[in-house]
Amino acid sequence: MIDTAVVVGIIRILFVCIIITAAYIISTRNLLSVVSVYALQSLTLVGIALALWSLEGSLVLLAIAGVTFFSKVLIIPYFIATIQEKIRIKRDIEFHYLNPTTSLLISMALMLVIYMALETILKDTPARDNSLFFFGAVLGISLMLMGMMVTFSRKRAITKVLGFLSMENGVLLFGMFVTELPFIIEFLIVIDLIIVVILTAILSVGIDSTLEDYHKRLHRFHLLEDEEEVS
Amino acid sequence: MILIAFVLVSVLSLVVIAATRNHRQMNTACISQAVIFAALAVYVALFEQVPVVSFLVGSPDFFLDHLGLFEILIATVIFACAAVYARGYVEGLLESGELEKGSLKLFYAAWVLLLLIIVLAFMSDNLALFWIFAELTTIISAMLIAILSARENIDAAIKYIFVASISMLFAFVGFIFLFEISRVSIGTGTLNWTVLMQHAAVFSPGMMIAAFALVFVGFAAKSGIFPFHTWLPEAHAKAPSAVSAILSGVLLNVGIYGIIRVYALVHQTTAVSTIAPLIAVFGILTIGIAALSMLPQKNLKKLVAFSSVENMGIMLVGLALSTPVALFWVLFHIMAHSLTKASLFFSSGILHRQYRSRFSADAADEIRDVFRLQPLAAGGIILGGLAIIGMPPFPIFFSEFFILLQLGAVSLEVLVVILVLLFIAAAALGYFVLTSFTQITEPGAPSDIIPYLTPASMKVPIVILLALLVVIGITLPAGGMEFLNQIVTELKF
Repeated sequence: MIDTAVVVGIIRILFVCIIITAAYIISTRNLLSVVSVYALQSLTLVGIALALWSLEGSLVLLAIAGVTFFSKVLIIPYFIATIQEKIRIKRDIEFHYLNPTTSLLISMALMLVIYMALETILKDTPARDNSLFFFGAVLGISLMLMGMMVTFSRKRAITKVLGFLSMENGVLLFGMFVTELPFIIEFLIVIDLIIVVILTAILSVGIDSTLEDYHKRLHRFHLLEDEEEVS
Repeated sequence: MILIAFVLVSVLSLVVIAATRNHRQMNTACISQAVIFAALAVYVALFEQVPVVSFLVGSPDFFLDHLGLFEILIATVIFACAAVYARGYVEGLLESGELEKGSLKLFYAAWVLLLLIIVLAFMSDNLALFWIFAELTTIISAMLIAILSARENIDAAIKYIFVASISMLFAFVGFIFLFEISRVSIGTGTLNWTVLMQHAAVFSPGMMIAAFALVFVGFAAKSGIFPFHTWLPEAHAKAPSAVSAILSGVLLNVGIYGIIRVYALVHQTTAVSTIAPLIAVFGILTIGIAALSMLPQKNLKKLVAFSSVENMGIMLVGLALSTPVALFWVLFHIMAHSLTKASLFFSSGILHRQYRSRFSADAADEIRDVFRLQPLAAGGIILGGLAIIGMPPFPIFFSEFFILLQLGAVSLEVLVVILVLLFIAAAALGYFVLTSFTQITEPGAPSDIIPYLTPASMKVPIVILLALLVVIGITLPAGGMEFLNQIVTELKF
């Protein structure tokens, strides 16, 4: 068994990694690297789940780590990268409302606000007494709101999806540290995630191209049946 | 057992849709599914002990109480009507090339799945299950919006998915809070609504406020409540009219249903004194924004869509009053609004086919000679319009009257504000009808409008729904009233 203090130290380092990846997703303009950073962020979550498992020994955490690894480190990033290649977008330069610097400043302020808010809300729960768990909860909600800012400030549907995915990572982080959710719930949210990603990806293929082109592409991906006689 | 019956019927419908190439057969499969679902719900309501024991339902995570049954009955009636309507409507879409023949199967398969998932959502006892089903309804209905071959439909669908899904993540965090609350108070964490209801009285009010606020964000977005209503007019106006009726008549209810369930938990704690004014404010703002957006509206479907937003606001205000009488009439209002709004969307669908602009769904409708070309749809809009603004003898009159009466007892100022807003909304509808339905081509003058031959299947649902509304409004059936009373008791108001 590894020393508890070491594990706690590792988790703290991973927290810092999460913040860095979130900041990177907010600010970068290169789409392909957003996808890889998202995969990295999910991998960090896997690391946190494993570290927590070694601390608590709850099998649910191990299962979460497994599901997260397969869905969010491998499948979803691969899928999005494929779609991006098909629609040939490399950079997402346009931002709505917020530019990256403002977003970063706002997210710092958000973290403070969330820290103070959760301090009152979680007063009577076990999570409040443990500084590590409390910080995990704060970070989870912050990550969620930072993801939301990405979906607001980006114009392309495909980058909005990445913001949404990053939000969901925040929810997962929050869930891991605040309470012990049953595995089935975590699993359901991953299913939801995959469906949302697939659908928005298909639709964004449509948005980022002309319509005739869109139908041609759908046929190429075999997403639409060929014209047939329907009476 | 009931659960399995619902799933089996849907699987059968899906098999028929997958096997056939004939539009009518696919459509018949959808109609039969909705009718069988309705029959099952009526059977349970009449012959079984409600709330149904979990053995009969088939799983401990599902249950069927009066509220769920009530919502299922509304949903199945509207789905059945909408499926009949779609028979003629979709044929028109195919002819004009707006819907590709290749997408037909996808359209009907999504339709069948949507009804199944909505029913499962209303049967979920576990709030996490309810959450995932509610989320799936967003995704599937977004598919139904995006299925028309128009770029603006895809835009509307993407906006809908993002606004609703992002908000629903907040609701999920709210449920995590709820889980933690139950773990602290009961000992074992649970999201089972029945169990939560039994112990709600001892929950910590501070955390309940946080949990409710987060859940509210999610379901407010689903039911189009300000400031999360932005997706609604777009999606409702651009969806095929049969789908618009479902979106407005059934899917908005999913959101309100979620709010009511969690509000029932909050209602048992002292947190209700903080939460009630909060949702009242959101309700009033929603009514206000909707009424003011209706005023300059030149597009009929958008006008009707904003009217849905307004009605959701009324429901919130009623809920905020937190008295048993107010809740009773909120439930009544849910039913009345769904039926009225579905009929309005059916009528505006016919007018949309007749007068639709070739360029954009956003454009103003150029309605001319409406009584000569589409007398039934025009009558449907006028009667439906009267019904939705709350004229007697239509049911909305009663629900709005009693909700406002309850409100008057609490605050006269708010009552006056809401009355003015309701008047503005009514005026907006009236103004639209007066200006556009009186455009008449002089006799003898050449008219280049080709009459749209409305199939009978598009007319029948309008007549059925309006007749149903009049009957409910005039008789106020005692059995139905008793049913609503039982919901109020079960929610411990």
